[in-house]
Amino acid sequence: MNKQIKTLIAAAMLAAAAPAMAEVVVIVNPKAAESSLDKEQVAQYFLGKSTAMTPVDQPDSAAIRAEFYKKVTDKEPSQVKSLWSKLVFTGKATMPKEYADSAAVKKAVAADPKAIGYIEKSAVDSSVKAVFTAP
Amino acid sequence: MKKTIMASSLATLLFAPAVHAEDGSSVRVSGFGTAALTATDTDKAEFGRPNQASGATTHPRTGVDSNLGLQVDAPLNSWLSVTAQGLVRKDAEDDYGAEATWAFVKAKLSDDVSVRVGRMGLPVFMISDYRNVGYANTMLRPPAEVYSQVSFGGVDGADITWQHSFGDTTYTAQFAAGRTRAAINGGPTLEVNRIKALNLLVEHGPLTLRFGRADSRLTLTGSPSMDGLLASLRAAGAGYRIAQLAPLADAIAIRNKKGTFTSVGASLDWKNTVVQSEYAKRRGDSYLNDTTSWYLMAGYRFGKLLPYVSHASLAIDRKVDNTIPAACPAGYPAACTPTLRALSAAVGTLPYTGVSQGEQVTDTIGLRWDFYRSLAFKFQLDHVRPTAMAGQLIKPQAGFHGPVNVGAVALDFVF
Repeated sequence: MNKQIKTLIAAAMLAAAAPAMAEVVVIVNPKAAESSLDKEQVAQYFLGKSTAMTPVDQPDSAAIRAEFYKKVTDKEPSQVKSLWSKLVFTGKATMPKEYADSAAVKKAVAADPKAIGYIEKSAVDSSVKAVFTAP
Repeated sequence: MKKTIMASSLATLLFAPAVHAEDGSSVRVSGFGTAALTATDTDKAEFGRPNQASGATTHPRTGVDSNLGLQVDAPLNSWLSVTAQGLVRKDAEDDYGAEATWAFVKAKLSDDVSVRVGRMGLPVFMISDYRNVGYANTMLRPPAEVYSQVSFGGVDGADITWQHSFGDTTYTAQFAAGRTRAAINGGPTLEVNRIKALNLLVEHGPLTLRFGRADSRLTLTGSPSMDGLLASLRAAGAGYRIAQLAPLADAIAIRNKKGTFTSVGASLDWKNTVVQSEYAKRRGDSYLNDTTSWYLMAGYRFGKLLPYVSHASLAIDRKVDNTIPAACPAGYPAACTPTLRALSAAVGTLPYTGVSQGEQVTDTIGLRWDFYRSLAFKFQLDHVRPTAMAGQLIKPQAGFHGPVNVGAVALDFVF
């Protein structure tokens, strides 16, 4: 319930702010074997088609989330949600965990060798490894 | 009693946001639901989903298309997890009942292979295990022509799933085995034993192809009308020495009878085009009809709006062979021929009576509107044409004839 309200407030705030279009960078843990991924591989993790890596997500309300899914999977947020709800409610997967912002996503990826996330290019630092850039 | 307990525990889960593990710890609670209103243009028969005890008429009803599901996922360690799902909806009994749809332990043996033990969805259809999740589907409800053909959705047993990607093609193979029992509208219970189900999926970009095959042994218990008919057939066969009546009763009875369901499906979600289709054959050796059923749905996405059209058909390939003679030989008691005629009439209606029987065709237009995150509004109109008797409409009254127009609005949500 609380979450719902928070989401609504966040949505209201978002509507007031102008969406910033920036380059989105896909990051993994520095210990991960991958040094680069292609778009299809990234899409597989974030659409639940492969469980070899654990996707971590930005909040529903974040502009970067819609931008990332549009660029990498060519899907609207509602299509992605619909796809995940198929996996979740058949017990095949759990929805990617959401973190508050890019800093939190970066922290989560830095802490988990199997995690994969996406953040603004400006937020990338040495605690994570960039494996794909969506222009 | 059990239902009440389940419903209240569902409610407790719903109103206990504290179990939302937002700190990154383990237990996840998620849910889905649909709030809907359904009405038709006739009062002489009711429109419901397959196996529902009652349905909508010109008086709008919420019970046909509304439901609420809650799911808890709890990882025990990095490779073992527990999932439980409860669903509240109207089904064979005419009130909102809660059921434990899934309750299983899943072991992830490798990145590609997992095994589940417990109660799980049985993959008989392309959208079998998320057919109750309105938000995950384009259409407001799965086409009854196909989805009525198997009256049970779960299996108590085990399954193994292998999934692997080669390039951007993902292959999935799933095999399930077990048993289940389903409450059937009107009071009977369908016991389904020796279930073996195979589900093969190939996903390549926007295209998904599917093949499914399920084998089982069916036994129907607790149906006074069926038991009465079988007893009458056997009694008349013995009393009047008519040899074909007892074998006919054996042929009709659902007692340890084979039931198989074979289906292929395809779905496409390419740019703005959405297509989904399934084609299925049901086979068995009881009075349940052998059938061919299929549907084709196509839609086009205009931003947040997704209008769609669909055509669905259910046709009988083989029905129980009515071997009752038209009249008794000369010299038989006077009551013999009328008895045979009554029995023959009863056997003759079997292909069109009860859950999953009948023949009909439905044309559908609808609109899905993703107007807000995690919320979708749907509007759907169905033109249902029974091709014999009342089709799949329930409680038909004297003088009922199709076609029937059905309208529904629904709000789907996930959380």
